[in-house]
Parts: sequence; structure tokens; C-alpha cells
Amino acid sequence: MNNLIRATRAQPVHLVVFALIAIVFAVGAASSDRFATPLNIGNIQDQMVALAIIALAQTIVILSGGIDLSYAGALSFLCVVFAAIAGDGTGTLMLAMVVVAGLGITIGVINGAITAYVGVHPLITTLGTSTILAGCALLITRQPSGSVPLFFEDLMYERVGIVPYGMTFAVALYLLVGFMLWRTVFGTRIYAIGDNEGAATVSGLPVKQTKVAVYALSGLLCAVVAMYMTGRFGVGDPRAGVGFDLRSITPVIVGGTLLAGGKGGVLGTGLAVVLLAVLANVLNFMNVSSFYQWIVEGLIIIAAVSFFAGKAKS
Amino acid sequence: MSAAISVNRNTVRAVQRREILMLLGFLAVIWATTAALSPRFLTPANLSDILIQAAPLGFVVIGQMIVIIVRGLDLSVASIMATVAVLSTSLIDSTAAIFAVGLLLGGLIGAVNGYLVAFRHVTPFLATLATMIVLQGIRFGYTGGAPGGSLPETFRWLATGNIVGVPVALIALGIVACAVHWLLERTVFGRRLKLYGDSPEAAYMTGAPTRFLVMMAFVISGVMAAFAGLFLVGYVGIVDNWTGRGYELDSIAAAVIGGAALSGGKGTVPGVLLAALILVSLFNIVVILGLSIELQLVIKGTLIILAAAVYMKRAQT
Repeated sequence: MNNLIRATRAQPVHLVVFALIAIVFAVGAASSDRFATPLNIGNIQDQMVALAIIALAQTIVILSGGIDLSYAGALSFLCVVFAAIAGDGTGTLMLAMVVVAGLGITIGVINGAITAYVGVHPLITTLGTSTILAGCALLITRQPSGSVPLFFEDLMYERVGIVPYGMTFAVALYLLVGFMLWRTVFGTRIYAIGDNEGAATVSGLPVKQTKVAVYALSGLLCAVVAMYMTGRFGVGDPRAGVGFDLRSITPVIVGGTLLAGGKGGVLGTGLAVVLLAVLANVLNFMNVSSFYQWIVEGLIIIAAVSFFAGKAKS
Repeated sequence: MSAAISVNRNTVRAVQRREILMLLGFLAVIWATTAALSPRFLTPANLSDILIQAAPLGFVVIGQMIVIIVRGLDLSVASIMATVAVLSTSLIDSTAAIFAVGLLLGGLIGAVNGYLVAFRHVTPFLATLATMIVLQGIRFGYTGGAPGGSLPETFRWLATGNIVGVPVALIALGIVACAVHWLLERTVFGRRLKLYGDSPEAAYMTGAPTRFLVMMAFVISGVMAAFAGLFLVGYVGIVDNWTGRGYELDSIAAAVIGGAALSGGKGTVPGVLLAALILVSLFNIVVILGLSIELQLVIKGTLIILAAAVYMKRAQT
């Protein structure tokens, strides 16, 4: 109950991240005339949609005390399958959506079942499935192949004013998942299990079933990202997911969700995604090479976790 | 009390022996199967290749196991391998100095990981993830994307040469493995590492310097990764910004297959070395049998999950 109340309220970490976004934005606007233009603001949003949704999935899993490293392989695999089925027709596109969503859920259920029922550490489980799926993606095709209908591709680039459709969709997903976490029994159970699995078991909560559902949801969101990315690329890239496993964790942590589970929420993750995207964009404008951006990213993680570790102790 | 402890220690040893026999049996089965399928497998040249290829992974997995014993995880090993190789070969050109500087650098990076985990209470996963990314940036920034280190001749010999038929890399791994095995099984330090993994509170109560233990585990892992990086570039002959890519996951896989439990406290040097040999053999088999190279990934992933599942089932009974 305490967690429930805590989760619904804006916390200091949200204000900190929000302030950082404002500062970085101001620096960007001051350093280049082209930064605060509608075109660039739209581009920043385009660049964060995929990461935003995958980080949303990771947030749910981490809140439940788990971790999902399967995105790298799963995204690649689902992108390839989606493009292979979608082709050029509306009918095949629908079929591809259903198949990929089903596969995403299946991958999640397998991850969840191995973790919850066999008792394998989620890190090892999802690492294993990710490796298998990365292999499967490359077994299907070694180079980007397949296609999606042109109207679907156009849809991914469409904007209302300065807001891309993809961004609107991502925000809607955040609201939906936020509501689920804060206002439904399922959400309460996720927090309870992440906070203290033993206590949750003793209180008679369906711990194992909930875990499977969490990973299934994570797999479904991963499938959604695969559809979005394939739409953006126009082809199915068998390496589309490379790096997304670890990259999905950074915003969750910077947003104040504890890796140990039970504390945090989607608002922090969303703000952190915005912060990282704006920061990357500003560094690009300042001609800082992506090499040094890595250093910045690593230092941000260290700063964020040190900050929260210190707080958790006190 | 002391009788109980010694009985306990004997059961632990017996379990460890069984695990190692199991791994040996598994290795024998896959070697026999491949030998039956392809005459090229059991040639001395191919077997020597497998052993030399297993050497870098062997170093990394020993370090990874030590970290896993203290309930940690080191995601930065591959990044340490590449960073050590790139920096030390570009700074100096004598083999001995490259090794000295490289190992020192590896230990220093490990100390940073260890400091973050032991003193700043950062989750090992995140601490090593962060150093991994930072090292990546430093390496690419320093080289501008194209590393220019050159390898001395003796360096190549160390990694690919042999003494009376035994690869030098393997001799080096053997010496280091024996040293770590002794450290783990016969010294107070090793016993305290395992005790900490079993129960950090108990280790603390016995007066063990727990923070120092955790930090040292990461230092050892850093030094091992440095060894691996140097032998790997010597073997490949080219220093690359991505040297060792994938070793973080391979080493975790090998450690788990070799009997190290992520919950801490368990793991033996012979076990994880055998597991590394099994992994490398499986990769070799895919090539020897002319199968699609992507199958390596599928096999590896399946094996990781199966091994972890088997140990979980055994732990429960």
C-alpha cells in the first residue's frame, strides 16, 4: 500500500530529471539556432520512440524484481519475421501484426515460465533466449530483407504539428501501463512481488503466474517496437535489436526505479528517456563524437546509481 | 562443530567431483560424436586449435567465476580486454612491458568496478555496465576509431607458439589456473570469498574484511580479462576496438555451465575451465561439420538455459 501511494506521487527524482532536461534543453538552444526548431524537436521525438517503449517494458519487469535481456535477440527476430510476412498488402500486414504479437507473447511466456517455474535466474534465462533468437534471426536472413506496405512506412514518419504519430502512441502506452501499475490488482501484485517475493508468496499471491504475465507483457511490447522499427526501416534487419538489451536498462535506472525491484515507476523512465534523447541531440549539435557520448552515458549511470544507492541506505 | 564442518566440506567436495565428472562426460560425448561425424575433428591441428581458442575464454571465465562467487557479475570483461589490448600495445613495444602495463591496467579497472560495488553499494550489474560503456568511449576516443598498435614478434609467439608441442598460451593459463585454484581452495582468502558468497552477514561476523574481499574479486577479474585480451590479440594478430566482443556473455555462460551459481558461494576452477572447453568445442563442431555459423548462437543459448535449469533442479533435490 505504501508503495502504491509512493508510486502515484511525483517524487524528487522526477523533479531532478525534469530540471536536467530543462538545463540540457537551454544549453542546446543557446549553442545552436537549429536546435529549438520544430523540425529538430520532431527528430528528437522520432529518435526516442523505440527506446521509450522498450524501456517501458523493462520497467515493468524490473519492478517485479526480474530483468529482461532478451530484447536484443527478440527484436531482431521479430523485425525479420514481420518484414518477411508483411510484404506489400494490407491483408498480409494484418497477418504479420498478429503473428509477431503472438510470437512476442510466446517469447515472454517462455522467459517467464523458465524463470518462475524452473527457477533459473532471469538474467541467464533471457540471455539464453536472446542468444537463440539472435541466431534464429540470422538463420532466416543475413542481410536486411522483406518489406512493409508503403502506407505503413509513411505512417511511421507522419506528424501532427511537431508530434510524430509514434510519439503519441508511445505516450498512450505509458499512460496505459501507468494506469495498470497504479490502479489495478495486477499492478499492485507486481510491486508486491518486486518488493518482497517471500512475503508475496506467504500472503498467497499468485507469484509465478504474475511473473509469467509480466514477461508476456514485456514480450508483447517488444513486438510492438519490432513493428515500429520495421516500419521505420522499411525492411527487416536481422541486427535491429543489437544493444537494446543493455540500453533498455539505463533509462529505467536513471528514472529512479531500483534494480532490486518494488520501487519506481514509468514516469521516471519516460522522463529519463527524454533526458537521454535531448542530451544525445545536444551533444551531436556540439559536435561531440559518439565515442565521448558513451563516456557521458556511462558516467550518468554511475551518478544515478550512486545517488539512489546512497538514498536507499539512509 | 569441527567434525560437522569437515563432513560438510567433504560433501561439498564430493558434489564438486560429481559435477566435474559430469562435465567431463559431456565433453567426451560431444567429442566422440563429432569425431564419428567428421574425420577432421580429431586431428592434432584441430585439437590444438580448440585448446588455443579456449585459452582466452579460460582466463576470463576464471575471473568471472571469482566475481560470481561473491554474488557479483562482471559485464565489463570484454571491454577491459579490448581497452587493455588497444592502450598497452599502442603505448609500448616490448612484450614484457606490454604485459606488465596491460595487467596493471586491467587490475586498476577492476578496482574501479570493485570500489563502486563494495564501497558505493552500486549493483554489480550496473557498475560494470557503466564501466563497460565508459571504457568503450575512452578506447574509441583515444584511437579515433582506428587503433594503431603493433605487435612485437615475441608477442605473436606467446599466443600461437608452442613448447614441445604444448601451446604457450595453454601453459600460461595452466599456471594462472593452478594459482587461482590454490587461492580459492587452500587459503583463508579463498574460504572467505566463498563464505561471503554463502552469507555476507556470516562473513562480516567472522571479522572478514568483506569490502576488501569484494573489491579484490573484481581486481582479479580485471587482471584475468587483461590476460585474455593480450593473448587474444596475439592469436588474432590484429588489435581491434572490439577485441573480445561477446566474451562477457560467453564467460557468464561458461561460469554457469561450470557450476558457479549466480546466488554466490559456488564455483571451481576445473569446473569452469571444462565448461569453457565445452563451449569452444561446440563452436568448433559447427564449423567442422560445415553447419551454418549462426547455429553457434542457437546452440549456445540453449546450452546456457539447459545448464542453469539442470543445476536448479539438482539444488532443489
